[in-house]
Amino acid sequence: MYEELLEDIAQTNGLREVNTYTKLAAGLGGILLCLLSATCVAPLFIAIALSLALLILARIDVKTYVKIFVAPVIFAVFSVSVIILLAGGETVFWSWQPLSWLSLSFTREGINEGIFVFSRILGGTSALLFIALTTPMTDLFAVMRRARFPEEVLDLAMIIYRTIFLIMSHLVLVYRAQVMRLGYRTIRESVHSYAMLCGAVFIASWESGEDLVRAMESRCYDGKFAVLGEGGPVSLRSAFTVLCFLMISGILVATTRHITFL
Amino acid sequence: MHIMEGFLPWQWCVVWWIIAIPCLILGILQLKRVLASDREALPLLGVTGGFIFILSSLKLPSVTGSCSHPTGTGLSSICFGPWVTSVICAIVLLFQSLFLAHGGLSVLGANIVSMGIVGPLAGWAVWRTLRDTGINMYLTVFLACAIADLITYVVTSLELALAYPAEVGGFVSSFVLFLGIFAITQIPLAIVEGIVLALVFKYIVQLKPEILIRLKVFPDEKIRAAGSDA
Repeated sequence: MYEELLEDIAQTNGLREVNTYTKLAAGLGGILLCLLSATCVAPLFIAIALSLALLILARIDVKTYVKIFVAPVIFAVFSVSVIILLAGGETVFWSWQPLSWLSLSFTREGINEGIFVFSRILGGTSALLFIALTTPMTDLFAVMRRARFPEEVLDLAMIIYRTIFLIMSHLVLVYRAQVMRLGYRTIRESVHSYAMLCGAVFIASWESGEDLVRAMESRCYDGKFAVLGEGGPVSLRSAFTVLCFLMISGILVATTRHITFL
Repeated sequence: MHIMEGFLPWQWCVVWWIIAIPCLILGILQLKRVLASDREALPLLGVTGGFIFILSSLKLPSVTGSCSHPTGTGLSSICFGPWVTSVICAIVLLFQSLFLAHGGLSVLGANIVSMGIVGPLAGWAVWRTLRDTGINMYLTVFLACAIADLITYVVTSLELALAYPAEVGGFVSSFVLFLGIFAITQIPLAIVEGIVLALVFKYIVQLKPEILIRLKVFPDEKIRAAGSDA
């Protein structure tokens, strides 16, 4: 019904105590290098290296990791197939022109482009998951405050964050009760039950928001939330590992500009 | 519907960020104004953000067999206006990418433009046009939410087509193909989202109409009349 939040995993992963900036450097650096790469070599290296780091160092369950990866990959398969069919090129393996303005074809250049984009998605998604699965949001809030994000936005973000968990627990209760009363038996009933669930959750969360106002006002809320620090100190070993990873990826980006798959 | 991390070339990521940032600044300025005049609004805005997040992490009753999520932005934009919704959406999209691996960080600008700016703006325009007419309140909510969802999907297809134009037919044929491929899931999804959010609206009217009256979503008498009918 609802998806597992990566945040729950991030709170207990093996790299929880590593300095936030070190982890962000690896994740954001990975995303940036994937974008700058002109071939599939560097993104694939980044995907493999960060996935191994997540599975071995952060001790993320393999099954969970695969499950998280499925949704982006499904979207990627759809979109990349469009790119392959439309890209065109010199070496044509198959082509079909159903309309004067639409031509579908399999070409060497198209397949290379498709594989490149697909590898960039794999690399980018692994880098994103590296941040998501190792760094809890509370640590990121501290980083955002230091980076001088507008106070209002940050406070709003923190309230949204808190509300998500409040609503989630309420949602689970109502949903279970609905399932036990066969509320999702047919499509028609599902739509009704689902709308009732959303309505109940909206009202409940609204009331919890009002409670929050009262609680904060009575505790002298002055428009600024206190945030805790940003994890452990920078350790030489982890900083050196991240530096090596970024250097190898950077070298791959620079040296593999002309390698193609086909 | 989100574009995932790594899909757009870096040049397009930059372009969408450049378009998104002025709208977000406008939203933040409006947010500051709202908060300066009414501090109680902050938790309420937060609750709406939490609600959009939860709504988009729920799987809709399956229509095409695929895993579909509603966006929920239509309801927020008729409650708080499109610019504040863009800030809420930007935060929700960031959380979605970090909590659920939907979307990404480099493509956040593109996703904000489609789901946080253009979609809610379209939904808000529909609601604003129909609000004071004789058209049924629930039908207005249905249309606003369904159109916000539909336009989000059209803009996403546009973003994809601009980044990857076809060799023959260029941008247009690529746009049509992307539209066609995602129509399979997105059109039924928009309709179901419209129905669900209109029903959600109905429950709020029945159980807690004061929320809607306070936000001036519809004229008082219209909401009260609908509430007493139910």
